[in-house]
Amino acid sequence: MNPIVTFAIIKDTFREAFARRIFWGFFGCCTALLLFLLFIMRVDVVAGALATVSIFGNSLPGTNVQNLVQTTQSVIAGVLYYAGMALAVFASAGLVSAVFEPGRIELLLSKPVSRTHLLLGRYAGNVLVVSANILYLVGGSWIIFGVKTGVWGIGFLLSSLLTIFIFSVLLAVIVLVGVLLDSSAVAIMVTFAIMIITPILAQKTTLERLLSAEWSRDILRVLYYALPKIWEVRGIVQDLIMNRPIASWMPVWSTAIFGVVILAIGIWRFQRRSY
Amino acid sequence: MQEYAIETEGLTRIFRTRFSKRELKAVDDISIRVPRGTTFGLLGPNGAGKTTFVKMLLSCTHPTSGRAKVFGRDSRDPLARQPIGYLPENHRFPTYMTGWGMLDFYGALSGLDASTRRKRIPELLKTVGLDERAHHLRLGKYSKGMLQRVGLAQALIHSPQLLVLDEPSDGVDPVGRKQIRDVLHGLEQQGVTIFLNSHLLAEVELFCREVVIIQKGKMALAGTVEALTSGSGYKVEALAVPEQLETELRAKARSFSSQDGTLHLLFATREEANAAVDLLRASHCELEALARTKSTLEDVFMKTVDGGQVQ
Repeated sequence: MNPIVTFAIIKDTFREAFARRIFWGFFGCCTALLLFLLFIMRVDVVAGALATVSIFGNSLPGTNVQNLVQTTQSVIAGVLYYAGMALAVFASAGLVSAVFEPGRIELLLSKPVSRTHLLLGRYAGNVLVVSANILYLVGGSWIIFGVKTGVWGIGFLLSSLLTIFIFSVLLAVIVLVGVLLDSSAVAIMVTFAIMIITPILAQKTTLERLLSAEWSRDILRVLYYALPKIWEVRGIVQDLIMNRPIASWMPVWSTAIFGVVILAIGIWRFQRRSY
Repeated sequence: MQEYAIETEGLTRIFRTRFSKRELKAVDDISIRVPRGTTFGLLGPNGAGKTTFVKMLLSCTHPTSGRAKVFGRDSRDPLARQPIGYLPENHRFPTYMTGWGMLDFYGALSGLDASTRRKRIPELLKTVGLDERAHHLRLGKYSKGMLQRVGLAQALIHSPQLLVLDEPSDGVDPVGRKQIRDVLHGLEQQGVTIFLNSHLLAEVELFCREVVIIQKGKMALAGTVEALTSGSGYKVEALAVPEQLETELRAKARSFSSQDGTLHLLFATREEANAAVDLLRASHCELEALARTKSTLEDVFMKTVDGGQVQ
């Protein structure tokens, strides 16, 4: 793979993302939150213990500084994990399907670049665009908390990598649906459906008790193990931030397998398609 | 060095509808050879399969059967596209790009490094007649003619050995057309093979050395423009022709017309034309003109398409 080509595709993805207002909206929300943390929230720490926390000048009841920072980071990570992810999916679906537009795809395919390279380049560019936004928010708030409170735990930073990882898996779904149907709307619907269904499937043990037929329990198990474990990974994100031990990494690697398989199918289909 | 820029063997593409599985042969068993360095025109009515044929050359569309080679390399190999510059007909260049940015992007996709691109881009923009204001203007603000020009520049960015152009002068004003034609003539002199897909038959006739006419997916006619348009007939024009002789000559001519006292006759053979001249001179008529006529490419095209001539 020629690095000039890879860099050009990634750069083009960034340029197209910047041309879309939704990414600027995402960036604006992140900036607003960082400014809020920077200027509105005042934290006074005396000798390693929390003295006061004030928001808009009103003092909050005293609490442990470590707890306060971790809880706030956990809330930010939670919002980012679902709301930010939904926004990123919404924005990225258009970014992927734009490549398959008639009149544009022919020109791209006429270049001496393999289809795999084209698709993976676009995929990587899209992941990097969203990563830049997530790292901006998480990194920025991590620095602000660190400076204001002296709490520099890396769990929050690591959690952002998991958020990016889940986004990259969902992006694989967007790519596959985009290649199959050329529709950003359907890609968004399918991805949102996965985001909604997987937390329900995460209650596998309870659901198994509620289902009477064995075949229905089998279907539940297949769906549970086949689909990404978005809910469980969210739990790992929380554990990382709160410095709790991770019970199992199975949700991460099984989700990774799902993403790789879906992306591989997307590439295979893209190679076989005629435009 | 490969003798042919393009070679296809039994290239066929069948489209099947998703549900009814009905078949449509868009391209049916087309075998052509385009010699290196020639100017080649691809003609055919709408829906004849021209664009599908071009897309198979570029591997945008996969053939159902048959194969295509570009400079001896299988068209499915990405490296086969290295020497190709392509301008699609209904292009949709990303509107967020500037003219400069677009050439930079497609140049990079063609494998050009940054310094080469920086050198080539202003040269090319100048060549296709885009002034400096257009360099940093978003493509969304470009007129149709400007888009065609920047599209042509994009096709030329990596100095291709084969140019595949789909309606290159579509939407371009006459001055721009002349400019584009000059650019293409310059490339032809440098030995670049030019494969032109155009509805403008006069343009193709003026520019191309060889043509292929396809109809309903099949190759209907192929040959050099000179051979296809030569030897059509003989034109005789005469003044003050007596009515009786006029009737006699009309019966012998392939076609005739009369305007402002001048009789225009067209004969299929030299012998018939000579015989007509003898009769006219015997009746003391004045000859206004006597010439061998050529068919235009449009005549050939219409005859082929209307007559359903398929090899």
